[in-house]
Amino acid sequence: MTLLEVAGVSKSFPGVRALDDVSFTLRPGEVHALVGENGAGKSTLIKVLTGVYRPDSGELRYRGEPVSFAAPMDAQRAGISTIYQEVNLVPLMSVAQNLFLGREPRNRLGLVDRGRMEREARDILADYGVTTDVRRRLGALPLGAQQMVALARAVMIDAQVVIMDEPTSSLEPREVQTLFGVIRRLHARGIGIVYVSHRMDELYEICDAVTILRDGRLVHTGELAGLERIELVSMMLGREMSPARRQGFTAFAGDHDADDTAPPILAVTGLTSRNRLHDVSFDVRPGEVVGLGGLLGAGRSETIKAIGGAYPIDGGTIRVDGEDLGRPSTVRAVAAGIAVQPEDRKAEGIVAGLSVRDNIALAVLPRMSRLGIVSEARIDAIVQRYMTRLRIKASSPGQLVGDLSGGNQQKVLLARLLATDPKILLLDEPTRGIDVGAKAEVQSLIDELAGEGLGVVLVSSDAEELVEGADRVVVLRDGAVVGHLTGDRVTTEDLMAGIAAAAAPSEDPA
Amino acid sequence: MSVRSNRWRPVAVVLGTAVVLAGAGACAKSEETPASSAAGPAPAASQVVQSAAPGAATCTLDQYGGTKIDLKTAKVGFSQSEKEANPFRIAETKSIQDEAAKLGIANLTTANANSQFNKQISDVEQMIDSGVQLLVIAPLNSDGWDSVFAKASAKKVPIITIDRKINATPCKDYLTFIGSDFAEQGKRAADEMAKALGNKGEVAILLGAPGNNVTTLRTSGFKEQIAKVAPDIKVTFEQTGNFSREEGQKVAEQLLQSNPGINGIYGENDEMALGAVTALKGAGKKAGDVKIVSIDGTQGAVEGIVNGWISAVIESNPRFGPLAFDTATKFFAGQPVGQDIIIADRAYDTTNAKTDVGSAY
Amino acid sequence: MTPLALATRPAVRSWLPDYGVYLAIALLILYNVAFTPYFLEWSNLRIQLVQVAPIVIVALGMALVIGTEGIDLSVGSVMALAAALIPLYLGYGVAAAIVVSLLAGVVVGLVNGVLVARVGLQPIVATLAVFVGGRGLAVVISDGQLKEIRNPGLINLGSGDLLGVPVLVWITAVLAGVVAFVLRRTVFGRRLLAVGGNRRATELAGVPVARVLITVYVACAVLASIAGLLSVARIQSSDASAVGLLIELSAITAVVVGGTPLTGGRVRILGTVAGALLMQLVTATMIKHDLGPSTAEMAQAVIILVAVYVARERKTR
Repeated sequence: MTLLEVAGVSKSFPGVRALDDVSFTLRPGEVHALVGENGAGKSTLIKVLTGVYRPDSGELRYRGEPVSFAAPMDAQRAGISTIYQEVNLVPLMSVAQNLFLGREPRNRLGLVDRGRMEREARDILADYGVTTDVRRRLGALPLGAQQMVALARAVMIDAQVVIMDEPTSSLEPREVQTLFGVIRRLHARGIGIVYVSHRMDELYEICDAVTILRDGRLVHTGELAGLERIELVSMMLGREMSPARRQGFTAFAGDHDADDTAPPILAVTGLTSRNRLHDVSFDVRPGEVVGLGGLLGAGRSETIKAIGGAYPIDGGTIRVDGEDLGRPSTVRAVAAGIAVQPEDRKAEGIVAGLSVRDNIALAVLPRMSRLGIVSEARIDAIVQRYMTRLRIKASSPGQLVGDLSGGNQQKVLLARLLATDPKILLLDEPTRGIDVGAKAEVQSLIDELAGEGLGVVLVSSDAEELVEGADRVVVLRDGAVVGHLTGDRVTTEDLMAGIAAAAAPSEDPA
Repeated sequence: MSVRSNRWRPVAVVLGTAVVLAGAGACAKSEETPASSAAGPAPAASQVVQSAAPGAATCTLDQYGGTKIDLKTAKVGFSQSEKEANPFRIAETKSIQDEAAKLGIANLTTANANSQFNKQISDVEQMIDSGVQLLVIAPLNSDGWDSVFAKASAKKVPIITIDRKINATPCKDYLTFIGSDFAEQGKRAADEMAKALGNKGEVAILLGAPGNNVTTLRTSGFKEQIAKVAPDIKVTFEQTGNFSREEGQKVAEQLLQSNPGINGIYGENDEMALGAVTALKGAGKKAGDVKIVSIDGTQGAVEGIVNGWISAVIESNPRFGPLAFDTATKFFAGQPVGQDIIIADRAYDTTNAKTDVGSAY
Repeated sequence: MTPLALATRPAVRSWLPDYGVYLAIALLILYNVAFTPYFLEWSNLRIQLVQVAPIVIVALGMALVIGTEGIDLSVGSVMALAAALIPLYLGYGVAAAIVVSLLAGVVVGLVNGVLVARVGLQPIVATLAVFVGGRGLAVVISDGQLKEIRNPGLINLGSGDLLGVPVLVWITAVLAGVVAFVLRRTVFGRRLLAVGGNRRATELAGVPVARVLITVYVACAVLASIAGLLSVARIQSSDASAVGLLIELSAITAVVVGGTPLTGGRVRILGTVAGALLMQLVTATMIKHDLGPSTAEMAQAVIILVAVYVARERKTR
């Protein structure tokens, strides 16, 4: 018997096919891992399961019956609860009030029976390892305890299915063990659990089954026991190439002739940031592309932002051309020749409400001006140059960037970076969410720029792109460098092995 | 690496700049006041009681309950309602303080509610708690005083309200009210307007703040009296200037531009009338082209009469000190005092402005 | 639906938020020409322009702040501070008094800017401090008293003419021109719009965002102090408890009605001037027809609602 099942579900958004004919089955008492990299379709699938989205096609069955949830409330009433990374409760109300919100015990007069409510809350939470004064504001509790309250509430409302979206991302190790204890109890009670996480160790500790999504498609589903870690990772990252990829290679040309003896253009040593980065060090030489490998949450984006002065660090030095950058700031980083292309293009990259022209010129305005007054002619020249070089397709330089396609937005962003004449280019998922043509163009551009002597740091969740684009790969896990691939070892197999290795002290062979 | 070493710098900047601002008055040097207005310490005209109607209700110590005390050694509290930004409030507070000093009352506490009613209530309650034996209150609102009355009557503290009346029972909730008759002020302004216009013309009223009983009474009194004594004078516009000079000026500018027929402006306080004077100057009018009558009796307005821009000013005398303490002295000595003491306000016009400008406030 | 209708509807939708304010002004003028005596006179235009001048000046600064996705509640208190300082320093001459009151603007702007840009407070909270405390300080500085101004130089600023046009109007026009130029043609103006459009992205582009924000708040406060001293010059007296009271609301209204979105990234200077003029015309019309102040307030409320509704249309386009 199955508890919750989707069959052949597809869901599209403008320009994206988020889910393509995906099927998924959850049995009672099963802890089912749902894994995949960013954009794989995990969130969309969860939203279909919980009634946030309605699928374009395909069927949703709950306890054997076809269902259609009009709103998240319907799914919740039917017994499907979701626990998000950010706790979805009212921080200003007491723990007990949160637990019983909307279903408070009443006394004979129909008033809320506070004494009973608090007593019951205390008992229930004790089961979840939370021993606190239930009259405290929820917001005053540590995040882990808040998550337990959310979980207790979800189970209390007769949940049959509990979906946990990265429940451990903000928990301390001790809290994680408490959570697992609770999951095991739920498991024993026959409740089905969908467990979303990218932490390998956790998956193998707590999950029975696994479903792997990639690019909106189902890659694999089955028992977790017996599935090698490396297989799991390679399926997530797409070693098994899709038909389209099997014919074409990336547009990368191969290794660059970086001078191994040249002094590094970028030297990062001991980069540390509380909880996120631990002693990250690596070098980049002029003309070299260094890849940063690792799974989601390994610290790749944080490393890039920290170098760019946009992520707070507690220690470490960043040297450009041998010169210490000192206290990091975005202003200093750009002035020193570091250009960052952030992962989230819309939130941190483009200024959607400004024109292509203004976006490209943004970082170089002082150079385009005299006494603070901008020279339109100089801006026109530079905008023209980069629009031509990057083949940016816009109706005119005055078109709003928000109205362009993803690929062209990305090119506008790259044009802004290049206009600053950088020495080092830090690219975080430069080809994500852009069409195949633009992807190839961006890839060859990276080659070309390295050829011109720039140092490039490349982050990509696409294993193929990473190994073909990079001359060397630094592998990160949980914010620390765990491997270093050079020469012949820059292969997807070695990358998978580096990523999949069980949590252990650094085994850097290089 | 000192990544976070500068986190307190912004705070330091803020504090530093705040200090600069606070010290701004340090080396100030104001404009020299022209000699004409430097009339020197004027013989401040204290209030006179209108001859009380025979048989008007009075109140005695026995009726009210309480004990005889000597005012000199008594603890007295004064609660002012509004910010002392207009001359009326300044003069009122000063008069209370000066009179107390004159009588040798050493123990006077004053508080200003800054136009917040809640603050006034708590000001007064604190005074009662601290053991005052006489309360003089310039109430912001006419209602909402029940808690204060309860507290005061428990301790038998007599309350004298000045300038605005409280809706309650005199000689029970409070002792007495001392103040002007606002409707009467409006009527007298109407008489002056009729005289200035020769009983014929078009008048615009610059109303006070809407919803205020001072505004209501000064308006109704004026309109009734105009209808009675000079039916040929038409009130063609009634627009609020919120008792403020700037708004009075703005409204007067608009009215005068689109209605050249207006030859009289009644300002329900001096500030708005002075705003209207500025508006007339700006419109290129000469003194006397448009007759202005207003109420309050501030120095600026009385000087306006001397300069010919204003025809007459009806006084609303803010110098409550002598009368309030006189009433209190009588009361504590066991003599009957009136429950409703209406003061006689004087008037300024061209005949007396020059000589009496010193008694304006 | 005919193809023509299909083509014109979206056009009207995008046109309305940008130019609706001019249409409303035109309609109101037509009404007044028909029904208000002596409306089409130079003296009338003069009064409206002079009365609206301080609001326009404050609104210019407000538009810049709103362009960065901020808001400045302290402008009225800054006007009061400037007004309170003028009579204190008039003894040193007009120039000195003006410099001191402008300095007060700079100081308040620095406080606001630092609180927003460096401490990271929300603009509405950061500027609330001065909104509340500034006027109190101004009342203390001025001893809580209204002070008459007799200095001919200052009075000339408020009621004098230059080439037949009030000095006040010249100053306002020049300031509007300067602000528009700064916004269009300077590095600072471009950066301001980028910060408002996407602060995080602008920061990553190496733009000194904090400096831009602090400059914006200083500019806004200085404009407010200019408005404050001009108000004093015009009413020929300084009353710290009344100058600029509630002007922050008038200014925000002018900016919004003028088509500048509160979400930042876009600023319409001419629209802001027109927005202030529209509100002024509404008030004038109500006074000239002897309608009560509540009627004027309701009319203004309707205009604001329409402006907000129209802006919403653009978002959902």
